[in-house]
Amino acid sequence: MSVVPSTVLPSTGVAARTRRFAWLRATLFADPRATIGFLILMLVAGTALFGPVLHPYDPTKPDFLNALSPPSTEHWFGTDDLGRDILARVIAGAQVSLFVGLISVGGSATVGTTIGVLAGFYRGWVDAVLMRCMDVLFAFPPVLLALGITAALGPSLTNAMIAISIVYLPVFARLSRGQTLVARELAFVEADRAMGFSDVAIMVRAIAPTIAPPLLVQASLLFADAIITESYLSFLGLGIQPPQPSWGAMLKNAIGFLTLAPWMAWFPGLAIFVAVLGLNLVGDGLRDRFDPRTRLREGG
Amino acid sequence: MRYVLTRLAALAPILFGISLISFLLVHLVPGDPIVAMIGLEATDEAIDALRAKYGLDRPLWEQYTTWIGSVLQGDLGRSIQTGRPVAGMLLEALGPTIQLAVSAMAIALLIAIPAGVISAVRKNSVLDFGASFVALCGLSIPSFWLGVMLILTFSITLPIFPSSGRVPFFEDPFGNLATLALPAVTLGASLAAATMRMTRSAMLEVLSQDYVRTAWSKGLSPWRVIMHHGFRTALMPVVTLLGIQMGQVLGGVVITETVFSWPGIGKLTVDAIFARDYPIVQGAVLLTATIFVLINLATDLVYALLDPRVRSA
Repeated sequence: MSVVPSTVLPSTGVAARTRRFAWLRATLFADPRATIGFLILMLVAGTALFGPVLHPYDPTKPDFLNALSPPSTEHWFGTDDLGRDILARVIAGAQVSLFVGLISVGGSATVGTTIGVLAGFYRGWVDAVLMRCMDVLFAFPPVLLALGITAALGPSLTNAMIAISIVYLPVFARLSRGQTLVARELAFVEADRAMGFSDVAIMVRAIAPTIAPPLLVQASLLFADAIITESYLSFLGLGIQPPQPSWGAMLKNAIGFLTLAPWMAWFPGLAIFVAVLGLNLVGDGLRDRFDPRTRLREGG
Repeated sequence: MRYVLTRLAALAPILFGISLISFLLVHLVPGDPIVAMIGLEATDEAIDALRAKYGLDRPLWEQYTTWIGSVLQGDLGRSIQTGRPVAGMLLEALGPTIQLAVSAMAIALLIAIPAGVISAVRKNSVLDFGASFVALCGLSIPSFWLGVMLILTFSITLPIFPSSGRVPFFEDPFGNLATLALPAVTLGASLAAATMRMTRSAMLEVLSQDYVRTAWSKGLSPWRVIMHHGFRTALMPVVTLLGIQMGQVLGGVVITETVFSWPGIGKLTVDAIFARDYPIVQGAVLLTATIFVLINLATDLVYALLDPRVRSA
């Protein structure tokens, strides 16, 4: 799990307030790695969105006459043990992976940031209680915690997403707490306070936008992690349940047919690899942009 | 010394939290564990009797204090399936897991440290781009897929290594290493990738420092500048990363051991989850998290030993 250093606050002050997301656009097209990664992500997202239209096979419909047939012009990625088209299942798996990534990282970022901002804003006992809880979650190896929570809640895709969200909570909480500690001392935040805005208004309108950039970088790094973790859980049988396809579940199924139909194992793994590579490339580009030390060193 | 004491004091609430979560994980399971154990046809009297036997009829906090009391005495309860003490089963599985984790770590360090140093010294060369690209791929490959691909290549197409199981070392050392090879490479790959990237960036940072430039200008040999002035300083963040990476390893063994049927803690945990053998799940989660916390503590202490600034801070 990659973690953004909690001391990084890229651009502070009024500028951050006015041009909120200009940096994101600038980075995506300035760094060649980020551009390539972004293109790969567009490809994966495009596959998830338009794949079912371009490749009209039912990913869950068995066709026993064509079971275990190798890649051909009719079935580009071959078929599985029930004769289902693997390309169609990889496309459906892309939808699942992106959905799980978005929901679990989004949920985790929302709750985790709320915890971190509250802790950093109020400090004192609020800070102590909230952050000690986060420390305990952080004390578990991530995959093990996700595994334990899914096992406790019962195997399903929803529970896998809940588990993944809980695992990343402390990452977002720690990062946003550190950022909030810096942000609450900024001139315009103090100005808001002097003007008599409520605490909630200050946190939502002044602090949240200021601390957003590093949190977005962190989210992009964890997105890749979430996709891998979901595939692990599904691979172990604790995530998505059959017959719905997911890349991890397809690999689990492929294990039984390695000698007969190795293509069943090739393509879902390749799909995870490509999606995660794209996310890592974007994440690398964003992180370098953000770490002031790298910027100085690389002279960019 | 004060630093050590502060760190040890901070350990207590964390360990308490870990035990609480490990305990609650099992008690949050939807449905009645007793019914899950003996089946739906059981009579109410039988269910009540078992519930009393396992202490499940008492309030939750009382169950927790009883449980943690016996845990502290080394008693983790008994497996529902086999009736054997959980502590013994975990201890038995710990050996293979440690062997796998240490081998993976060794493979990772042997590849990653030289690759990272060379990449940094020959920055922006073909070698650097090549190594960095391979590392990025290593980070992006899901370990179970790598494992499956290794089985396809080295067990099925070219039958060199066995695809699953473990031969105990003292029975047949060579057989043991043959069964170890594929799982260790699988687990070591992502570890090597992350370590290489960290070594490279730490070296780059150190090599741009003034004192390194001074060392060059003194006419010292490249080896001495790079290894003595550069590498020793660059090692610090790498040590920290290795501590964090142990979390990945302890999580990663779950997947790797399942793919290769390696009889360690990870496989034991997954099997226990599907067998609804909750005492084992509870014990394994507690043990693994505790090991992880202790490794992190050890990392911090080693870090303090290497860097006097941390001790006084």
